Amino acid sequence: MSERYDIAIVGSGPAGLEAAINAVIRNKKIILFGTENLSNKLIKAPKINNYLGSFDVTGKELMQKFKEHISAMNINIVEERINNIYAMGEYFALMVNEKMYEAKTVILAGGVEYTKPLKGEEEFLGKGVGYCATCDAPLYKGKKVAIIAYNKDAEKDANYVSELAGKLYYVPMYEGEYSLNSSIEIIKDKPIEITGDTSAEKLILKNEELNVDGVFVLKDSVSPGQLMPGLEMEGEHIKVNRNMETNIAGCFAAGDCVGKPYQFMKATGEGQIAALSAVSYLDKK
Amino acid sequence: MLHVNQGSFVKEVLESDKPVVVDFWAEWCGPCKMLSPVIEEAEKEIAPKAKFVKINVDDNPALAQQFGIASIPTVMVFDKGNVKDTMIGFRPKNDIVNFVERNL
Ligand SMILES: Cc1cc2nc3c(=O)[nH]c(=O)nc-3n(C[C@H](O)[C@H](O)[C@H](O)COP(=O)(O)OP(=O)(O)OC[C@H]3O[C@@H](n4cnc5c(N)ncnc54)[C@H](O)[C@@H]3O)c2cc1C
Repeated sequence: MSERYDIAIVGSGPAGLEAAINAVIRNKKIILFGTENLSNKLIKAPKINNYLGSFDVTGKELMQKFKEHISAMNINIVEERINNIYAMGEYFALMVNEKMYEAKTVILAGGVEYTKPLKGEEEFLGKGVGYCATCDAPLYKGKKVAIIAYNKDAEKDANYVSELAGKLYYVPMYEGEYSLNSSIEIIKDKPIEITGDTSAEKLILKNEELNVDGVFVLKDSVSPGQLMPGLEMEGEHIKVNRNMETNIAGCFAAGDCVGKPYQFMKATGEGQIAALSAVSYLDKK
Repeated sequence: MLHVNQGSFVKEVLESDKPVVVDFWAEWCGPCKMLSPVIEEAEKEIAPKAKFVKINVDDNPALAQQFGIASIPTVMVFDKGNVKDTMIGFRPKNDIVNFVERNL
């Protein structure tokens, strides 16, 4: 069995980092997922004047300070993007494709940057619309399928699906060379809506309509409700109480993903609360 | 959990005197593997009010077709031979318990 961490933190922005340092101070075994650059938003910030103690800094300067802080505390960032988190009861299973990490508690700190759903996408989710082509492809054996792809990674999935599906349309939402099987029809058009009666039947694009049995939407990042099935949302934010507890026992959230205002200080404060809540949850067990 | 197939479906599901919770799954489906132990936990909490069974969609494509399974895992509650409610995708135990209880 894989090593089970006390706390898994998903996101390396200010909220996730602050959660990590507080959890480490409390002697918990943590794993922190994110990126080397910590956060794109942090890098983009031109001038920051509302971060107490660091006046007139650029986002890059603040990032450098954050990096020094975590490395002084021996905190490493695991550069992986979590695809799914399953609440198993006693623990959480965090999936990176086929790989699985286990943790007793989870802190969600992924910020907000997910692609807005298409019209009809949520309505037909599970009824012809899916986010994991490799998972559901065998159910579309011999049928007509469309893939709306937001990144190059989707090409591998498309090639796999094309071996099972009767007909595969590929709608790329990015520019570049496409390495796709010759049987795949590339559609360069803007998707507008998914329609149907009880299940998805049509993908409507700006200039044409495709009759399909299934549509897979493959994005860079999905909303937290998709990331973690069963998580209660409030609009596009994760619902939390003052202790940063979500509706799922052992799961906490902090930062932009729980709501406005979108600010560094709020994110770090919430990250700290979330870590302390996770610690007291673990100590009670 | 009892495994049901094309041959035993009518007797075990449609003609059951108790509501039946059916878990449609397949070997290649990651979320199905995760759901399995969780749904067994839910079964412990709910039994004997409902019967829990599994259907492998690869071995029973006609059943999957008949009930319009487009994504797995799909969990359905059957009562008196009819589908009462459907839940698609992985869910934590409490959600499954609530979903089943609400349909008893
Ligand atoms: C241009 C700009 C200027 C700004 N200026 C200011 C300012 O002056 N003052 C201020 O207070 N605020 C400012 N902000 C807002 C501030 O950047 C955010 O409020 C803050 O970054 C939120 O922190 P966070 O930790 O919640 O999320 P983020 O900083 O968004 O970090 C989340 C991280 O988690 C990662 N992640 C997400 N999902 C996953 C996953 N599934 N697996 C692994 N990793 C994942 C992301 O890649 C990202 O690195 C500015 C924002 C922008 C865009």
